[in-house]
Amino acid sequence: MTVNRRKKPASVNPMKIGQSLGAVLALQGCYRAMPLIHGSQGCSAFPKALLTRHFREPIAVQTSALQEMDVIFDANRNLEEALNLVLSKHRPDIIGIIGTELTDVAGVDYQNMLKTYKRERNMRGGLAFSVVLPDFRGSLESGFSSTVESMIDEMIQQVGHRGQRSMNTRQITLLPGSFLTPADVMELKELISSFGFEVIALPDISTSLSGHLLTGFSPLTRGGVPLDSMLQSLQSGLTIAVGGSMERPARRLHNAIGTPYKVFEGAMGLKATDELLHFLHQISGEPVPLRYCWQRENLLDSMLDAHFQFAGMSVLAALEPDHLYSVSGWLEELGVEQKALITSFETPLIAGMEREVWVGDLDDAEVLGKGADLWISNSHGIAGAQRIGAAFMPAGFPVWNELGAYMSVSVGYRGAMEWSNKAGNLLMQREADSRESSVRHR
Amino acid sequence: MDPLRQDEFDSQACGSIAPKAKPCPRPKPGEAAGGCSFDGAQITLLPIMDAAHLVHGPIACAGNSWESRGTLSSGPSLSQYGFATDLTDSDIIFGGEKKLKDSIDYIAGRFAPPAIFVYSTCVTALIGQDMDAVCKEAADRIGIPVIPVNSPGFVGSKNLGNRLAGDALLQYVIGTGEPEPETDLGVNLIGEYNIAGEMWDIEKLMNSAGIAVTSRITGDARYKEITWAHRARVNMVVCSRALLGLAKEMESRYGIPYFEGSFYGAKETTYSLRQMAYLMNDREMERRVDRLTEREEARLSQELRPYRKLLRGKRAVLYTGGVKSWSVISALKELGVQVVGVGTNKSTEDDVRRIADRVGDDTEYIPEGGASRIIKTVRERKADIMIAGGRNMYVAMKEQIPFIDINQERHKAYAGYEGLLRLAKELTYSLANPIWKLAASPAPWDKEAPPYDR
Ligand code: SF4
Repeated sequence: MTVNRRKKPASVNPMKIGQSLGAVLALQGCYRAMPLIHGSQGCSAFPKALLTRHFREPIAVQTSALQEMDVIFDANRNLEEALNLVLSKHRPDIIGIIGTELTDVAGVDYQNMLKTYKRERNMRGGLAFSVVLPDFRGSLESGFSSTVESMIDEMIQQVGHRGQRSMNTRQITLLPGSFLTPADVMELKELISSFGFEVIALPDISTSLSGHLLTGFSPLTRGGVPLDSMLQSLQSGLTIAVGGSMERPARRLHNAIGTPYKVFEGAMGLKATDELLHFLHQISGEPVPLRYCWQRENLLDSMLDAHFQFAGMSVLAALEPDHLYSVSGWLEELGVEQKALITSFETPLIAGMEREVWVGDLDDAEVLGKGADLWISNSHGIAGAQRIGAAFMPAGFPVWNELGAYMSVSVGYRGAMEWSNKAGNLLMQREADSRESSVRHR
Repeated sequence: MDPLRQDEFDSQACGSIAPKAKPCPRPKPGEAAGGCSFDGAQITLLPIMDAAHLVHGPIACAGNSWESRGTLSSGPSLSQYGFATDLTDSDIIFGGEKKLKDSIDYIAGRFAPPAIFVYSTCVTALIGQDMDAVCKEAADRIGIPVIPVNSPGFVGSKNLGNRLAGDALLQYVIGTGEPEPETDLGVNLIGEYNIAGEMWDIEKLMNSAGIAVTSRITGDARYKEITWAHRARVNMVVCSRALLGLAKEMESRYGIPYFEGSFYGAKETTYSLRQMAYLMNDREMERRVDRLTEREEARLSQELRPYRKLLRGKRAVLYTGGVKSWSVISALKELGVQVVGVGTNKSTEDDVRRIADRVGDDTEYIPEGGASRIIKTVRERKADIMIAGGRNMYVAMKEQIPFIDINQERHKAYAGYEGLLRLAKELTYSLANPIWKLAASPAPWDKEAPPYDR
């Protein structure tokens, strides 16, 4: 319907996250990868600390460690040094060079430099690509999807155009959006494969950031989709993208090598899951597995149980664009009032939404959502929620006030049920608290 | 902005007393770790709780860093707000100065802070914004101090940022105000950031010895108290060699004597309290401190007894920066924990000398970062526990090494006598946790003898 902005010069309590962090996140989902941020130290230290705090896992990332004089004279000398070191010491399969606002404003041409570097070193067998991600555009979501797009580009360059492609119709490439947790990606993989498909998720954080006890330290990523699977994904008969931002990478595959694709913009709630399962049922010809039929009933039943709790309640959600779209769809099904929807930047999906959406920060959330009963946002929202007296439900990135947040499921019937119960419990607790305090005050 | 602080590039000092040590090493591309100078400046100034802290630059510098420190407030929380000018493409093209000015006005109008700190970042420094001029003009117009902090990330390390923040305090804050006439003047605590509330433990101790805290620089500070820091009688530099320059400058400008001390461990705590009283030149106070420290030490050793028994002979690898590298060693030694490896990555020669004074000959020095190096030391030296910053926490978890977080992000206060007791408890809990055994033993089916080949 409409996308609005409140008029104020400064961002107050930002919810926007630098694009480069999205790129680092995407690369965590690739096996033996090293994201290399072309910028000053802080530009990699902050994302590393923040991602570590959210996932409670070590995070692979390096920097070209630019200092002032490097920026002015020759930033690419640092990049070359960094590449030499990382390649000789750790031999990663995948390197993603992430340009920052600093290299952007200074006008550093590292794309050409990378080309020359690869030619001169005769680099083969690995995947090295670059992506331009200054922080004055977009947010985590766009950084993530642009990185996947660049990665796909590079894959196509390497193998795609050569020879004919043998197509495997029983194999599906899954492009999961940045808002999905490792557990979500796992759930989607299971869901699709239960119809008899091979699934290659690109990237696949479900096997890298879901927590495992691999010993033997390595500064590279220690899980995620391996390079040969990534390249093999070019033979998939279909691409499934989850989240509007993943449409562009899907389209890229389609344009270059003709893989058809299907985008699921919403990923949460009954309707969204129905659509996905129905689609998989149709293209596979297989019946919907029994466990999903059961889960569907479980979900409906729990929504019936909870609907008293949601009656007359209002919710504000401040999330990245795709995530907001998904969550809004789920809130619709709960029958609550959506008091304010706030997002970090404008995307076509957001612009096309039927509800009013605000592009802004968590301070806007506080103002626009005054009187809301439930506040859904990343952990930065805790203080704001307290100030307006709403129950706080952590979601998105970063979440640090809850253990295992990265393993919570939001997709599928199971995810919708988990979220409905969680939201309902929070509201119930809030009601109990206010009852208690009113008794005490009398 | 000036041709960026050439002196810092040639600097031999890097915060040590005698500027003979190695210069701040250039971070190695592809192997660098740690934050930028902007980060360092924020660490120093954010604990001024009632001030507004505005980051001038694209969103990531502020967006990725706000609310990431464990510094606590006893009242105002404005410093926990994340303010950013959030520059866009067109702001960069047209300069962004107008947006900065508008942002300052907006914050002043809506939040009425006693002061606004404005941080430059890489991009705003690169495009040559005259931040100082904008701040000065704004301060004159709105009638509150607007303080430029020229510490963009690319000038160097976190440490340099601490120093630049100290410079900003010297240049714009300290000496601009006067305490109330009845204020009891005492000690400035410099470089104590109230991580996990440590400052409160320290202040309580000082107060029970009759020593007043004049200005807290900057743990749980109010802007006003820093303006009169020049009236203190003693400066104590706690745990941040980067702010030593500030103390030195205050000595030469205002004649305030300073000393470096720490509150980690009972011995260091006692020493620090004594030193304060001594420098205040107050016999009566010295006697009070003696009585207090004796009493506290006796009580502590009583309470520590059960933990000491459990901790005796345990081996630890300590990896942390600067002053903590040596002061925590004292604390551990008092508990009977042997430090078998210690990071010297961010230490000056002075620090290293102090480390050497405190550890045995067979302690391994870990000069360079990198988790793999730390893990290797833990393994080779058969350490029981790793004590380091949050960044290495999950690396240790993967390797199933007991771990204690000692840096900024932690939630436990380890300063003072109370703190030592807390540290002893934490060490014990961590070492005794059943998870280490559970994680080390395989699943039952992996233990079974291989099935017969049929
Ligand atoms: S290095 Fe520069 S751009 Fe990066 S976070 Fe630090 S100040 Fe910001």
